[in-house]
Amino acid sequence: MGVAAALGACSLGQQTPTLGVYSGRHYNTDQLLYRRFTEQTGIRIKLLEGTDNSLIERVRSEGSTTPADVLVLVDAARLEKATQLGLFQPLRSAALDRDVPANLRDSQGRWFALTRRVRLIVANPQRVDVGAIRTYEDLARPALKGQLCLRDNKSVYNQSLVADRLIQKGHAATTTWLRGLIANVNQPFFTSDIPMARAVAKGDCGVALVNSYYVARLLSGQSGAADRALASALKVILPDPSHVNVSGAGITRASRHPEAAARLLEFLASPSGGKGYAEANNEYPLKGYGDNPILRRFGPFRDDGVPIQELGAHNREAVQLMQANGWN
Amino acid sequence: MTIHDLLPPAGARALAPPRRGLLLALVLLVCLAALLPVLGLGLFAGLGPNRQGLQLGEGGLSALLHTLALVLLVGGAGAVLGTTNGWLTARCAFPGRRWLRIAQLLPLATPAYLLAATLIDLGSRLSWRVHGFTWAALVLTLSTYSYVFLLSTETFAVSGRRQLEACRSLGVGPWGSFARVALPMAMPAIGAGIALSGMEVVNELGAVELLGVPTLSSTILKRWQNDGDPEGAVGLALAALVIVSLLVAAERLLRRRSRRWTMGSDADGSAPWSLSGWRCWGAQLLTLLPPLASLGLPLLWAGLSLDQLQADAALDLASLGVRSLSLALFAAGLTLAAGLLLAMSRRWLPQPLLHKLSFVAGMGYAIPGAVMALALLLLGGPLQISPLLLLLWGYADRFLAVPKQGLDAALERIPPSIDEAATGLGCGWLAALRRVHLPLLRGPLLVGGLLVFVDVVKELPLTFALRPFDFDTLSVRVYQYASDERVGAALLPALLILLLGLGAALALIPTLERGPTRPAAGPESGQG
Repeated sequence: MGVAAALGACSLGQQTPTLGVYSGRHYNTDQLLYRRFTEQTGIRIKLLEGTDNSLIERVRSEGSTTPADVLVLVDAARLEKATQLGLFQPLRSAALDRDVPANLRDSQGRWFALTRRVRLIVANPQRVDVGAIRTYEDLARPALKGQLCLRDNKSVYNQSLVADRLIQKGHAATTTWLRGLIANVNQPFFTSDIPMARAVAKGDCGVALVNSYYVARLLSGQSGAADRALASALKVILPDPSHVNVSGAGITRASRHPEAAARLLEFLASPSGGKGYAEANNEYPLKGYGDNPILRRFGPFRDDGVPIQELGAHNREAVQLMQANGWN
Repeated sequence: MTIHDLLPPAGARALAPPRRGLLLALVLLVCLAALLPVLGLGLFAGLGPNRQGLQLGEGGLSALLHTLALVLLVGGAGAVLGTTNGWLTARCAFPGRRWLRIAQLLPLATPAYLLAATLIDLGSRLSWRVHGFTWAALVLTLSTYSYVFLLSTETFAVSGRRQLEACRSLGVGPWGSFARVALPMAMPAIGAGIALSGMEVVNELGAVELLGVPTLSSTILKRWQNDGDPEGAVGLALAALVIVSLLVAAERLLRRRSRRWTMGSDADGSAPWSLSGWRCWGAQLLTLLPPLASLGLPLLWAGLSLDQLQADAALDLASLGVRSLSLALFAAGLTLAAGLLLAMSRRWLPQPLLHKLSFVAGMGYAIPGAVMALALLLLGGPLQISPLLLLLWGYADRFLAVPKQGLDAALERIPPSIDEAATGLGCGWLAALRRVHLPLLRGPLLVGGLLVFVDVVKELPLTFALRPFDFDTLSVRVYQYASDERVGAALLPALLILLLGLGAALALIPTLERGPTRPAAGPESGQG
């Protein structure tokens, strides 16, 4: 709040700046939100969307000349990578401290989560006993041999899930879990979520790990009526506890307008701004479950509480462990 | 080694020293611009804190083998398909030949990543798993065989008519004439086509990632961006460079062995071979299936996904289209000018070192777009070059080989005696270029320009990494939405890419149609 107030004072009589935003999110609904921010504050936004890793490399190679004030990234590991590369500057903001739970932001205020997504399980009741699947551990049980479908190890969400296991269960238990998981895999690893969800719905796979917003999108009919009908045959299981991943943002070290950038972060993390960011894309807001009717139908979930910052720190170990155990 | 190799280049005598100096300076400038990113990367890999030089590293060998296998398979299949269809539609007569000849250009309009994405999506609706090496080979063959077709069919259409007539009068059939006369004569063009398709395969990123095949370019990107190991990525990129150098060297060797010049006016309007019965059916099937698959599948997918069409996605379609169009036009002009300069300098300037330099300058095609982007970002930052200029630089560097290969092959068919005649008649080098070479090179220039145009419209990694704020293009938008698995939003930009590609492909029709390929054509000027 302090920053915003200070900015309010100093922006009087000054020309409003234009903020450069590099974003790894690419949703039309985001742009509507940025427009709302401009209407409210007069601060204009120049947007460049790209893949997260390419944006990180771009900010890094542009160095002090980068036109980016804010870097928005998807997934914990990428946020942490940008932090380790020194691309963000720390920010103290009472508003952000209030709106972003402590485990969803960097301890030094270099980045803040803006939306949440859950790695959930979809199952086909015709092929597997859905009542017997309650946790990620259950996916590694021999009863599911030949039933499991997974995305490849390039899926950063899978990497973060394995990092989450490492933090909670340790190296040995995670290795055992991974071996069980891979022994259950039924066909070559998928490169995308939606064909995998379709394969479960059609019975080609019994069970799969997908991100919450893909399933919600299928169920909402955004992917067509045929997919909605298919998806309605899926049993959605929110593991207890659930692994939560985020999209988040920080202010670049070379930002020329850090105060205006802080205002943008505060706006996006606020309950009203966050609602626009999360709900339209079928993501969960930072607190609670939001008003998205499809997500509400999934029911509540219990966040496993692992600090997002730690997920990033364990990413490399997770990827190595996946490769060593046949998750290619 | 032929007698012509020992003679000084024909145009060399037409160049007075100051002009030669100017030309030399221009050629050196183009070479420098083309090589700077590679040199920068080499230095980066060699001098960085984790310097590794040329090495494969973990997963590198598997990526190398997959890439080699893909290059061989796609190159072989593309050579057979492109040459066969080039010959069938240029020199044989069967119902529908004219339309089917034009249809061979349609695959140029479809980006490989779009074809792969539609195949995966359609497959998953039918419970088919579209995944892995075989599918990647199929997709890449479909999207690259047109290079071989385009370059070979032009040669079939314009050269060696008299020899073929002689074959026919000696009782040699169409296959015999093809194998014993037409094929050796078309070797330079076919080789150039295969080299282009091979480089395209080495560089392909979107399709192989979607299909889960670990190739050099996907491993390079993974190592650079996911593993945070740019030096290791550059080491692997150097391995890719070696493969492409071998490809190009093999193509050169092939070309040298079959070098011969043809007089331009070889056309005599002779009748093509008439195919009937199973031969006719076979020809129709072979020429129909590839274009039907590469354009029909995305259209089928679009038709099935119409209910996901989003009206708000249509709003900025015009600005996306204008950006793609203008980038592609600028890049095509720039690349064509640079390619022409390098190709002509091989003829005019007798410095072997310069020839080698200009050969190496065409290697940008071998550098994965993402690595080229890294190199340009490293250069552009300190030099304060605007992102748009960097982007055009990247396009011109990446695609320089496209017009250059075609122009080199075409120039080899123009006998040096033509240059000597022009010089003898008092033409300076500029006048000879304008009045003799440019008209003779009109075909390859148009083909090269349009191929670059289509390539830029479809291009992803460079555009993605270098474009400035609020400057999305069609391919960027398609990739963003497709990678986020939102078919509905990707639909309209994908269709517009197909439309632009089709427009460019259709603009090539006059080149295909010109010359003696029309069965009822009268005497032709024979300018290829």
